[in-house]
Amino acid sequence: MKSKSFITKMLVPVAAWLVIWQLVAMAVHNHVLLAGPIDTLNALVRLSKEQEFWSSVAGTTLNILLGFLIGTVLGCGLAMLGYFKEIVGDFLKPLVLAMKSVPVASFVILLLIWFGNRNIAVVICALVVFPVLYLNTYEGLCGTDVKMLEMAQIYRIPAFSKIRYIFLPQLHPFLRGALKLAIGMAFKSGIAAEVIGQPLHTIGNGLYQAKIFLETGELFAWTIVVVIISFICEKILMAAVDCIRR
Amino acid sequence: MTIEVKGVSKSFNGKKVLDSFDLNIEEEHSYIITGASGCGKTTLLRLVLGLDKPDEGTVKLLGDYKYPYINAGVVFQEDRLCEDFDAVTNVTMVSRKIYKENAIRELKCLLPEEALYKPVRELSGGQKRRVAIVRACAIPSDVLIMDEPFTGLDETARQTAIDYIRDKQGSGPLVITSHDVTGLGFGRIINVERR
Repeated sequence: MKSKSFITKMLVPVAAWLVIWQLVAMAVHNHVLLAGPIDTLNALVRLSKEQEFWSSVAGTTLNILLGFLIGTVLGCGLAMLGYFKEIVGDFLKPLVLAMKSVPVASFVILLLIWFGNRNIAVVICALVVFPVLYLNTYEGLCGTDVKMLEMAQIYRIPAFSKIRYIFLPQLHPFLRGALKLAIGMAFKSGIAAEVIGQPLHTIGNGLYQAKIFLETGELFAWTIVVVIISFICEKILMAAVDCIRR
Repeated sequence: MTIEVKGVSKSFNGKKVLDSFDLNIEEEHSYIITGASGCGKTTLLRLVLGLDKPDEGTVKLLGDYKYPYINAGVVFQEDRLCEDFDAVTNVTMVSRKIYKENAIRELKCLLPEEALYKPVRELSGGQKRRVAIVRACAIPSDVLIMDEPFTGLDETARQTAIDYIRDKQGSGPLVITSHDVTGLGFGRIINVERR
């Protein structure tokens, strides 16, 4: 039943979209304007034979995941501090709200001016992920049942148990949603930062080169690689979050 | 240890719930606080536990008491259980001094074994109430305070719970609020009148 559901819910729609894509590409009949799935697959096979491709994929993925980790730890940690110490929460609120709205491009240009393009994806991902995790964690903590906190106070429940049994179940849906959103945003913003900043041996650089040489097939191939890595990371992350809850 | 409630008054939104209420809660005694809904039974327990401050009067711990706060086993009016976790976890989580084997043994006194390992959200109202009772009695405490602990229990389960609580009371005082005083004749009945 499960495999049937996977076929009807996942494989069939994907196959349908691939067919539509190929038909549109055939109708356009211009490889520069729109490369079809077959051209994209050819470009992907060609790229995958190069050492540069694999080092770019590994480098970008590691940078983005490192930035994501830093942003998550800072976001969750400071949200907890802000929840328990009101003065910290009040102090951070304007900064977080501002960070949420500042365009990624503004951050990237500023960082390029200040520090150059080294590790730009790490910093940008952290900056993008931080407000998402901060706001969701803070909101989750504020929604904690006061009656449960009173119970914990009366029984003087140890801090670890309080986190494990009261705060984590409360935070779980907020964290799950925030992490799912943030991992996608991390890949989008990290790669945008690489395209603007042009650090060598990165996916962003590969996309930029594809644009320069009007290699639409390669552009799509790099994009598909990013989508696949982002999808895998999201699935692993969600499994880890659900595992922590259990 | 004696808890002295002296001249305590408490109002909510301008409505007086308790007015100059006096009560001495002494060791080895049981107190059954009864009265109509909204008469201030729960408010009285919250004042005793220090969860609310009285508008007037005092709640003091008298005698040679080593803590600045009451070390109490409490059944709240709502169950206040961690719904995602099973009954055993709900009992062991409140103190490192409660071992799993002890929690299981205590829970078996009031609940069928199959109810012990299900997430609490899957238990009936009466079963949740019994988990809350066991949690209150399992933790080492100086006083047992129970707010309507028998809600949702049928006659047999109620009597079993009363016997269990009496058995676990030890030398500390026991304070129970209840609309229905059936089977609670062992305690001093205190009727709180509605203001």
